[in-house]
Amino acid sequence: MPKRTDIRTILVIGSGPIVIGQACEFDYSGAQACKVLREEGYRVVLVNSNPATIMTDPGLADRTYVEPITAEFVEKIIREESPDALLPTLGGQTALNVAVELAESGVLERYGVEMIGCSLEAIQRGENRKLFNECMEELGIETARSGYAYSVEDALAIVAEIGLPAVLRPSFTLGGAGGGIAYSEEDLVRIVSQGVELSPISEVLVEESIEGWKEYEMEVVRDRAGNGIIVCSIENFDPMGVHTGDSITVAPAQTLSDVEYQRMRTASLAVLEKVGVQTGGSNVQFAVNPSDGRMVIIEMNPRVSRSSALASKATGFPIAKVAARLAVGYTLPEIVNDITGSTSACFEPSIDYCVVKAPRFAFEKFKDSDDTLSTRMKAVGEVMAIGRTFEEALGKALRSLENGRYGLGVDGFVRAAEIKEGYETLLARPTSDRIVFIGCALRCGWTPEEVHEATGIDLFFLNRMADVVAVQEALRGARVDDMDAESFRIAKRYGLSDVQIGFLTNSSEIVVRTRRKALGVVPTFNAVDTCAAEFGSSTAYFYKTYEGENLNGCRESPDAHSSKPKALILGAGPNRIGQGIEFDYCCVHASYALQEAGYETIMVNCNPETVSTDYDTSDKLYFEPLTFEDVMDIVDVERPDGVVTTLGGQTPLKLARALEEAGVPIMGTGADAIDLAEDRDRFADMLDGLGIAYPPAGDANTLDEAVRVADRVGFPLLVRPSYVLGGRGMAIVYDAKQLRRYMGEAAKISPDHPVYLDKFLESAVEVDLDCVCDGDDVYIGGVLEHIEEAGIHSGDSACCVPPFSLSDSLVAQLRNIAWRLALSIGVRGLLNIQFAVKDQLVYVIEANPRASRTVPFVSKATGVPLAKVAARVMAGEQLADMGLPPDDRDLSYRAVKEAVMPFGRFPGSDVVLGPEMKSTGEVMGIAPTFPAAYAKTQLAISYELPKAGTVFISVADRDKRSIAAIARDFHHLGFTVLSTGGTAKTLEASGVPCRRVNKVSEEHPNIADMIADGQVDLMINTPFGHGSRGDGHVLRLAAVRYGVTYATTIAAAQALAAAMESVRDGALGVIALQDLPQWG
Amino acid sequence: MGILADKMRAATSKPPAGDALLVLEDGTAFRGKSCGAPGEVLGEVCFNTSVEGYLEVVSDPSYAGQIVAMTYPQIGNYGVNLDDAQATHPALRGLVVRDMCYTPSNWRSSESLPEYLWREGLIAIEDVDTRALVQHVRDHGAMSAVISTEDLSVESLVAKARAAEPIVGVNLVRTVSCAEPREFGAADLAGSKAFAMAPPADERYRVVAYDCGIKRSILEGLVRAGCQVTLVPWDTPAEKVLAMAPDGVFLSNGPGDPSAVAGTYEQVEKLLGEVPLFGICLGHQMICKAAGGTVEKLKFGHHGGNQPVINLLTGRVEITAQNHGFNLVFPSLGAVEGAPALADPSDLRSWVDTGAAPIAANARYGGIRLTHVNLNDGTAEGIAFTDIPAFSVQYHPEACPGPTDSHYLFTAFTRLMDGKADYLDIDIAKDRLEGWRF
Repeated sequence: MPKRTDIRTILVIGSGPIVIGQACEFDYSGAQACKVLREEGYRVVLVNSNPATIMTDPGLADRTYVEPITAEFVEKIIREESPDALLPTLGGQTALNVAVELAESGVLERYGVEMIGCSLEAIQRGENRKLFNECMEELGIETARSGYAYSVEDALAIVAEIGLPAVLRPSFTLGGAGGGIAYSEEDLVRIVSQGVELSPISEVLVEESIEGWKEYEMEVVRDRAGNGIIVCSIENFDPMGVHTGDSITVAPAQTLSDVEYQRMRTASLAVLEKVGVQTGGSNVQFAVNPSDGRMVIIEMNPRVSRSSALASKATGFPIAKVAARLAVGYTLPEIVNDITGSTSACFEPSIDYCVVKAPRFAFEKFKDSDDTLSTRMKAVGEVMAIGRTFEEALGKALRSLENGRYGLGVDGFVRAAEIKEGYETLLARPTSDRIVFIGCALRCGWTPEEVHEATGIDLFFLNRMADVVAVQEALRGARVDDMDAESFRIAKRYGLSDVQIGFLTNSSEIVVRTRRKALGVVPTFNAVDTCAAEFGSSTAYFYKTYEGENLNGCRESPDAHSSKPKALILGAGPNRIGQGIEFDYCCVHASYALQEAGYETIMVNCNPETVSTDYDTSDKLYFEPLTFEDVMDIVDVERPDGVVTTLGGQTPLKLARALEEAGVPIMGTGADAIDLAEDRDRFADMLDGLGIAYPPAGDANTLDEAVRVADRVGFPLLVRPSYVLGGRGMAIVYDAKQLRRYMGEAAKISPDHPVYLDKFLESAVEVDLDCVCDGDDVYIGGVLEHIEEAGIHSGDSACCVPPFSLSDSLVAQLRNIAWRLALSIGVRGLLNIQFAVKDQLVYVIEANPRASRTVPFVSKATGVPLAKVAARVMAGEQLADMGLPPDDRDLSYRAVKEAVMPFGRFPGSDVVLGPEMKSTGEVMGIAPTFPAAYAKTQLAISYELPKAGTVFISVADRDKRSIAAIARDFHHLGFTVLSTGGTAKTLEASGVPCRRVNKVSEEHPNIADMIADGQVDLMINTPFGHGSRGDGHVLRLAAVRYGVTYATTIAAAQALAAAMESVRDGALGVIALQDLPQWG
Repeated sequence: MGILADKMRAATSKPPAGDALLVLEDGTAFRGKSCGAPGEVLGEVCFNTSVEGYLEVVSDPSYAGQIVAMTYPQIGNYGVNLDDAQATHPALRGLVVRDMCYTPSNWRSSESLPEYLWREGLIAIEDVDTRALVQHVRDHGAMSAVISTEDLSVESLVAKARAAEPIVGVNLVRTVSCAEPREFGAADLAGSKAFAMAPPADERYRVVAYDCGIKRSILEGLVRAGCQVTLVPWDTPAEKVLAMAPDGVFLSNGPGDPSAVAGTYEQVEKLLGEVPLFGICLGHQMICKAAGGTVEKLKFGHHGGNQPVINLLTGRVEITAQNHGFNLVFPSLGAVEGAPALADPSDLRSWVDTGAAPIAANARYGGIRLTHVNLNDGTAEGIAFTDIPAFSVQYHPEACPGPTDSHYLFTAFTRLMDGKADYLDIDIAKDRLEGWRF
């Protein structure tokens, strides 16, 4: 069946901002889909509110709308573009939910839009547990015994039947949000009452607990002729009870015999058929009782998912690409296997390696939140590692996480207690560190059986880990010189890194590496080829491993010969808070630009969710950890002409110096220039020399020293430990008491490192500037005015391009500073500068000679792809020769970026913004005015702005003066203003009508009760100081819990009021990027 | 071997093991460790791409005379359950793996794979760069090889490999066939699979099966479809079989070169047209040979559980289990009408594009329809006679190991015995599902 010719325009819906449970894997799948659909000759219309995505590059679709993914906006786009079809299965749950809404409300029918890839009925059968369970019953496939609760009473009745513990799953929430396991009636009441709130249909599934069972996932692809294939099977390391997204997972399934596997395969195919997934990819999850093989289906997703991205990277089979072709009418046998280029895509990949995925967490960012892993996903990113054995892949995965570890223990990070006691609780509770504790326990004499008893983790994995630990311990204390080639090879095959070997032999990574190479123990590079080498493969997608002695040297290796110069691009590693998809975007752009500039591009990265690790993106892909050892092994094989280290965030930047010292040519800004910008003293000296102002600062090792700095520069102070980056441990202290507390904590955390203290410029306006410098010229990519004042991490602050309140002369001053800084530092590529403007005085806060988080946003806002420009500069081109549009040109519209916070995932953690970044993603709004653009960002995040109702206002003393005007705005917008204590007094004095309500600490009913009761539509609450534990804390937690829109800064409240006004004054139109000026 | 390396290895779950060598006749050599019985063995080296199902592979009688390398690197993970074995004793010569698991984990496992290999006296080697081996065999074709734990001289082993008897022209079937007829019925089904398999259909057919090295799971497939099976030795005269008045005759899989198994296919010549016939793998080749067709050796064969086969009658693709080194040249069965001009006569994929199932005009038996084609390389995978009740496939509908998409062929055999003209017209998804119990 060839492709359909009755449709011409296809609307593709993306997944919106990066949030926990829905990350850049959907950029990967969406970008693939857009590419394929255009290749097939369709006109592609795309909607996605996330500017940091590759899919929203204006070149990837015919019409690109960076607009809120809501039924309202998508309908506007449909009206504008009249698509024939809507493809909802590649944009995660967000796209699916909007598609369902549009279908159910009749919009699709009204505009004659056909849903392709999946029908409304199939989505409903897949997502609605009741319908799904009915389907499974007809198939004879077991589901866990369960019932539906619409209230706590329902839940109690069900539990009376099935017993505790019970698993609770609210229907239709992202990544299982609001779910949990109830061990007691108390738990049940708490989780169910919350779940009923969170579920759009107020429904919670109450299920028999199958905790401790083995968990599996099958990635299935099906075509409209009924052909179905399993692309990949995945086995969870953690047993049932931990969300798949939070579990280490392994592909292929490791502990199923053929009869068990084939039964699961048949069930998976039958599920897709029964649910009615006509075409495309789906995943099906199973639990298997480890003692008798009883198999229970957990759920299925009738769409491409996080695990399909993983499966695609793990096997080389491009699920999203194939799914897009299938959606437009092709059948599987009509599609050729991309990787081999000769065989059919209608087959099941056979892999000859083991893949381990490990989640990356960010609990350190959310103090006071429970770090127990549960059925509700909390990981912010993940890494994937490939090895020939589970042992090797696990070691690689653990050192890919960039949490300071270099494998399973023995990396100098934690000294394991030598005693066997004390591990019971550490092992019993699933946490992000449990994998480390298992290693420790095994090292202290726990048997794999004992660990199995405590954790429920399958003995296969534990036995393998016990072997790893045993090999480590056998090596401990040996001298590197005693190691022969064979002992090196054994260490490597059990996944030990050079750092670990160095630690065990009391030497260093460099010594180990030198000795290892001298003995000829170097890795071999295997291709990921979908077919276990049965057929030749034309795709250069590699991982490294260590093979035994091969006496005649007959094996493939990457073809290192190239007639072109070679550029090695180091990716950004796992997504985490502070380093997300933005950096992957930059790496991908660099690869495109360097290819155009005549380079062979080689990508190194270990994040399976990304576009950079698509084998299609660069000429070659190495799926490897971003450590010195792993990068150098690739450098040894490829001998690149240049390595790009400034586009992948901190990860590759940290490697730059070591690589340069090893003689590796660095492209663009050199290590010394990076150091000049990062070293406080050198940087301050340079600013002094240039006559550029910066906040007075000092450092201190003791409280006394800190007090002396405070005396000199004055409060408030921005304080941070010197050894961390990305705002970790940063705080603002307003008085000596807070300073004392902070210094006490800092001394506990790291006694050997000083604390930096900067004068904090209160209520200064913060401005970001992104530019590119080629050594002679500087191109200002964008000047971004922050909405929140200085003191809020720039990644968490909303910002606007071009600035909406800065004067031309001020902007000219910023541009001038940027020129001088870029040239003085010696930047060859991107530079990001953060300014604080207070009383018309400009201070430089910091300068980072690398890609910043805002590069993708600025590029979309201005139509100039900055990362590409930077890559071309690195390749030696001059800015003057590129024909760039004038960088001081007027833009006729405003673009606003707003951060998306994950607080809902971390109950207990305060939602106040501060100098430590906490957001996971961002959205963009484009409109003729700032308020309208800002309104779009708010709609893109919360999907709804209260149009009227009740606003509760309570602000810190320093904000009291500015709040009256804002409150008046809300009053004029038709809101009833509620207030307590001092704020109420201020408002009354200013003549703003407001209703006094009781504080949290006062008698009931108080404001907390009103929030719980749904009587508050909007909350403005600004906190005072750091770690406030007062009423505000309680209220903000309540706002998150009950989904009340809130602002925690005056600036945000102001912007919100303006946004609501602009929404009220007229409908927000939609704008395609293609209608704005684009360059390149 | 250094002291430190020995110490490191000894610390793991692997027991002390001697060195072993795998040497190919062209001089390619791999050093590894013994992980089965000690000794030395010669055979033709081939590879299997199944990710799970190693015991089924190891015990498959079709591997008689061969050394099998598993492409998935960690083998033995879920141990051994003897009910999964395809024959009482393995017939393959040796096993090559990257990493052997001595501490398996699965509720059905009764022993580890190395324990099984040791008990069966089977030679196996681990620590081999199996990917390099696969690439070598892929590029240079299947060849003779030797595994030894005794002779660790590459030169000496190359000489032995070169002197090995080639597999072509040798009758290996006689080494794995039963000596005497025996019965196989519902009572013989493996108990430990009952948790997953649908119960057998009522016994409605009497089937005689030529045992050329039949896999246990084929017998189980026939029984589950409602057959009571009488196994007979590979060279049982057709007259004797027909005298048993069976409802149908089944021709089993088996090892080696089909041309050397005249003792079977000459009997098949006499059975074709007399009784409903169904053949799998070597059995399919026996039917092809009986019809005068040519069966050629493939460069490195199909061995794995992920080969896509398209059914030309329905357009549906089955993911199939395969294990064969020889293959039918379809046009050799007779003139094919409307044949498109083929650049490569063995690549039949152009028929897929035309959507037709071509018929060869066979001199002896009338029309023979090409029913199945391999989507990877266009080789013939199945045929059905249009004028007499007989059909056969090159691949393995019983799977074990592998996907069970083609389970419907057992159902088709019963429909053939029922005399249905449209016996192959079955909804494969529905049929696949019916084989299981969840």
